[in-house]
Amino acid sequence: MEQVHPTRMELMKKRSQILLAEQGRDLLKEKMEALIQEFFKIMVNFSESREGLEQLAIEADLALLVAEAVDDPVAVKSASYATKRQIMVDIAGKNIMGVPVPVIQKKSVALNVMERGYGLIGTSSRINEAAEKFEAEMDMIIRLAETETTLRRLGNEIQMNRRRVNALDQIIIPELKEQAKYIRFSIEEREREDLFRLKKVKKLIERKKKKKLMASVS
Amino acid sequence: MDNGYVNARVKGMYSRLLDKGSLSNLILKPDISSLITALEDTPYREDLERALVLKPGLSGIEEALRQNFVRTIQKIKGFLEGEKSERYIAIFSSRWDIHNLKTILRGKRIYVPSGQIRENLIPAGEFDEALLSELLKQPDIRSVIDLLATFDVSYAAPLTEVFPEYTEKSDLIILENALDRFYYERVIGLVQGKSTEEQIIRQLVQTEIDLINLKSILMMVRDDIDPDDGERILLEGGRVFNLKKLRVMLKLGSVAGVIESLEGTPYRFLEDLRSTEGDNLKISAYQHLLDEYMIRHAVRLYRGDPLSVTVVIGFLWAKYTEIMNLRIIARCKNALISPEEMEAEMVYV
Repeated sequence: MEQVHPTRMELMKKRSQILLAEQGRDLLKEKMEALIQEFFKIMVNFSESREGLEQLAIEADLALLVAEAVDDPVAVKSASYATKRQIMVDIAGKNIMGVPVPVIQKKSVALNVMERGYGLIGTSSRINEAAEKFEAEMDMIIRLAETETTLRRLGNEIQMNRRRVNALDQIIIPELKEQAKYIRFSIEEREREDLFRLKKVKKLIERKKKKKLMASVS
Repeated sequence: MDNGYVNARVKGMYSRLLDKGSLSNLILKPDISSLITALEDTPYREDLERALVLKPGLSGIEEALRQNFVRTIQKIKGFLEGEKSERYIAIFSSRWDIHNLKTILRGKRIYVPSGQIRENLIPAGEFDEALLSELLKQPDIRSVIDLLATFDVSYAAPLTEVFPEYTEKSDLIILENALDRFYYERVIGLVQGKSTEEQIIRQLVQTEIDLINLKSILMMVRDDIDPDDGERILLEGGRVFNLKKLRVMLKLGSVAGVIESLEGTPYRFLEDLRSTEGDNLKISAYQHLLDEYMIRHAVRLYRGDPLSVTVVIGFLWAKYTEIMNLRIIARCKNALISPEEMEAEMVYV
């Protein structure tokens, strides 16, 4: 055990520390519950979106396969040169129970047939459909990136909180209580010793008084 | 015009095309290796041996198919060199010039290395290797157009005409539309004669224009494109649809409406598909039927006048279809797609 001074002052300090630790633990527990609730709320949508993304990816791959098979991979590659572009996203932030999470703001990646950059006359609808599927997949990926980062940060925060609560519950608070108990016992012990000493002194004084009285009588 | 000798050679080549039974056997091959082995017993053996040295597996097969196609076109051009019929073959082969030119323009716009652009070119058209190499060496779109003008290539004119608009809007569609429009206007101009074979070829090109317009309208209507913007894409000179009719179709506002408006035209078969499959059908499903119609229409020319150049045109379409079918088989085999799904994408002639 940490070296503590068994004084009343120290005991009062320890008691206030215990109170503070218990309040902190309760607050952290409440925060953790709120975070878990938030986590599961997002998780439900995320699971559905994740399945949606997998489905979209399968459909996009199939559309690309059909386009390459029927129209020749060189035609698809040629069209891809015309559609190459950058995707701009603005990343802002917000707080969920003190946890900073990203908010991705972007325009939809999906384009119509006139915006893809290649002429419609020489390009088949199969290539257009493949482009469309991949645009939808890209939209979903960007949306999921926001949700996934939020979930990861919330998860980390929940884990960190749980560790803090456990540390308070199982190490800090018991240790403080142990120290307070030790101080209390030490003080009580010292009080008992003082009482015994006082009684002893009182007895000595009384004995001395008695001796003095006997001497004066004789 | 008597194309007796050429047609006899072409008929020999046609007889070596794979029939439905051979294609069905290829579909049933378990993997790419056995497909390659089976293709080695066909006229593709020589191209396969050459292509597989550089590219293994699926890429090798696709390269071999492309090489075979280029070789076939060049062989036929060789038969017809100096003949009047040569220009009819150019009608068919020039579409690969358009593909090559578009690929170069697209690549130059985003500074793709020349080597990579070259991999996506198909030298089956009128552009020779030297011209393609020179075009690839150019640093930007402006220089590509200038070089076309220097070499007196006809495509320079439409590109030069719309280049200021392209510079202003920086929209590649402007250049591509000008190229496509020029190609079809030129082709229609080439077959304005009154001879039977020119009439037949003109009808084929007009049908192709109709089908392209129909496909474009379906895609634009589905994506709610403003009819005024959409009009820029439409091609003049169709067999059934004139520009007025096309504009009306563009304003119909729904795919179902457009399909219903085909009643009474040779393309009403799209309505049958819609009535069996419903309104949520993909445009590619309609395009598959349109492509099939075009291919059947073109391949039928092979069975026309045995001395006409239309035999050659019919053969080229049949060859193009065979190569497309083989590519579908190879791609689908590689991706473990079922034979039924594979056959749904194929076209038998």
